Amino acid sequence: MNAAYEFVVGPLAWIAGAIFVLGSIYRLVSMYALAVKKDYSSLPYMDLKYSLRSIIHWLNPFGTAGWKASPWTAAVTFIFHICLIITPLFLLGHAVLLETFHGIEWPTISDGLADGLTMLVIAGCIFFIIRRATVDKLKYITSGMDWFVIFLVLATFLTGFAAYHQWLNYQFILILHILAGEAMLASIPFTRLSHMIFWVFIRGYMGSEFGKVRHAKDW
Amino acid sequence: MSIPGIRDRKIEDVGLQAGVDRLTEDQIQKTIKKVLKGETGAKLKLYAETCMRCGLCAEGCHYYMSHDKDPSYAPVSKVRQTMWEILRHNGKVSPEFIYGCAQIAYTECNMCKRCAHYCPLGIDIGYIISVVRRICHKLGVVPLYIQDTAHSHSATMNQMWVKDDEWPDALQWQEDEARDEIPNLRIPLEVEGADIFYSVIGPEPKFRTQLIYQAAVLMNETGQSWTMPATPGWDNSDMAMYTGDYEVMGRIKRAHFDTAMRLKVKRIVMGECGHAFRSIYDMGNRWLGWKMHPVRVMHAIEFYHELLEKGQLKIAKTFDTPVTLHDPCNIIRGRGLMDQAREVVKAFCPNFVEMTPNREHNYCCCAGGGVINCGPPFKNVRVEGNKVKAEQLIRTGVPVVIAPCHNCHGGLEDIIHAYKTGQELKFLIDIIYECMEKPDAVE
Amino acid sequence: MKKQLSVILLLAAAVLLYLAPAYSQEDMTQLLDPAFTTHQRPAAVFNHDGHNEKAEIEDCSVCHHVYEGERKVMDDSSEGTPCSECHAVDAEEGTPLRMAYHRMCTDCHTAKGKGPVTCGECHVDK
Repeated sequence: MNAAYEFVVGPLAWIAGAIFVLGSIYRLVSMYALAVKKDYSSLPYMDLKYSLRSIIHWLNPFGTAGWKASPWTAAVTFIFHICLIITPLFLLGHAVLLETFHGIEWPTISDGLADGLTMLVIAGCIFFIIRRATVDKLKYITSGMDWFVIFLVLATFLTGFAAYHQWLNYQFILILHILAGEAMLASIPFTRLSHMIFWVFIRGYMGSEFGKVRHAKDW
Repeated sequence: MSIPGIRDRKIEDVGLQAGVDRLTEDQIQKTIKKVLKGETGAKLKLYAETCMRCGLCAEGCHYYMSHDKDPSYAPVSKVRQTMWEILRHNGKVSPEFIYGCAQIAYTECNMCKRCAHYCPLGIDIGYIISVVRRICHKLGVVPLYIQDTAHSHSATMNQMWVKDDEWPDALQWQEDEARDEIPNLRIPLEVEGADIFYSVIGPEPKFRTQLIYQAAVLMNETGQSWTMPATPGWDNSDMAMYTGDYEVMGRIKRAHFDTAMRLKVKRIVMGECGHAFRSIYDMGNRWLGWKMHPVRVMHAIEFYHELLEKGQLKIAKTFDTPVTLHDPCNIIRGRGLMDQAREVVKAFCPNFVEMTPNREHNYCCCAGGGVINCGPPFKNVRVEGNKVKAEQLIRTGVPVVIAPCHNCHGGLEDIIHAYKTGQELKFLIDIIYECMEKPDAVE
Repeated sequence: MKKQLSVILLLAAAVLLYLAPAYSQEDMTQLLDPAFTTHQRPAAVFNHDGHNEKAEIEDCSVCHHVYEGERKVMDDSSEGTPCSECHAVDAEEGTPLRMAYHRMCTDCHTAKGKGPVTCGECHVDK
């Protein structure tokens, strides 16, 4: 069990991290190159001011037509994403690994808070799963990829939650958690999770067209 | 590949049927690959990949809202039934499938981009639909009626098969008519160096000639230096843009801009049309390689607003009947003229009632995007697809609806009749003409 | 009055007796360093004598080391000196206390391929 643990927190973590970082850079650079080659009727309209205008408005869960039309989904979406990013980034257990392995000091949130945020992420996943399984318009458009990404997130946080509370076979659950987390990280550049790295650009482009050319708001 | 949706509501159209009858799967795949590889890039790739299938765009669509939230009408579902299947099968789809794609893309989406206000990612579904249309055009699967207008554009440089000599004839006829009211009125043709090239859409000389009459009165009585060309290039409309025939779009936009440059005008002022504005201001210019329009382009609303601000347009009387204003997508979401439109309306109409939602969030007329131009086979698609607009009109409780766009007029007219809202529809120029000061008029 | 006093004394004695094992190495069962003022996890399970017997450690300086600069002093050991004397909890330089504990245990366990290395194996929830 120790050997397995050491493998997943050691070489495998490096591999997952490298796939995430290098993969993201590759995706961004190649996508930009493709846009230069094929989307030159769009690219020159990109505008920083109007990109930010659009991004900022969409970061307000009460500020856009889309969010207002579905307030529950909006609320869950925001809580889900905020918790999803904060929890793993500032978790004590993760920071201690950094500290022990690499001597890096890293800010942390308390375990109690992290526990609460984790429960919110899990609740968010369950909300999205139920929504996808029961709402007609979602059933109509859902594909395997949509289930894959939501269950990947759910698996990571459920096993993380169970490992923290030392339920079932602790070591086994912990290794599962690390594997799920690494799978999620490595999946970001190459699955639908890539909206994490592309969102600002897609939103920014729409904001630029609406701000600079159309003189209208896009929210 | 076959899910409930478009396959359950197939509408017979000669153009679509004749088109798919000629196709084989191999031809389809070859053409699709060519379009996807040659004409699309990062935009389409990112939209297909990062759309989270969250369904928030559904509430943005009048078709979805009007069909009691039938999931197959949601914007994302239209992409689900067309582009995603095309991408998933790498273009290897059946002729019958292409029929459905064409029916969705040409008649169940107005490309009004209202859904843009509902997508958190910022995905441009109108663009995806335009790529589907481009593919259908390349495959020769286009509804008969709109294809006919595209042919007209190609052959005559105008939308309505108006012959070269019929055009100045129609202008002269309107000039004659107007001189009964304003004896010194002229419709100046081919005046080089005039300030304004007034451009109209094909249907105006064909069956909405009163608009040319009224515009001439406005120009004459506010003392404008203006002209109209006597040659092809006068028509600013563009159905080729909507069929996906960008080569013809480029030709007609070039003819239009060339005409403005030949006449050495300072700007093009265009009548109350939405799609033509989109073509000149947003689409055609890009196809020709211009970042923005090479000659300044002004929509009628902007022009009226300027005349009021400069004090050239004076108000003789107000239009007291309560009115509401329909915000056309191409000049509101497409150009941000909502405030100017309201200022012009309020200057003439003291009893102005807003409809809700309005401005950028206004529901589409369901005629634009070429849908009305697909003709009688699809009339019910857009009438049934816009119950939500009729309800919106009824809620205002006013007898007069102002719609400063030709397509919106066509669409709203049918909705007003079908849902018996009993309202009267007007262009802004109708009201301006009725209420403005006309110093040179007799009587 | 007398009765009350004896009750209090008895209670105090009980508390002392209860606390004593924590401070006497012979019977220690956990690492509960008083230098840590707040505890974010349950104290690490550690039976001093049992561990050393099992790990066959006789030289105290394996854990209770003494450093001079970068170099470990071979024939000296530091038992009786609190770890935090050298490893302050929030040390700017050198090894802070939490890192020192974690590395002391897990580095050896990893090297030997024996003993716990994951968080929850030492910080056991009760």
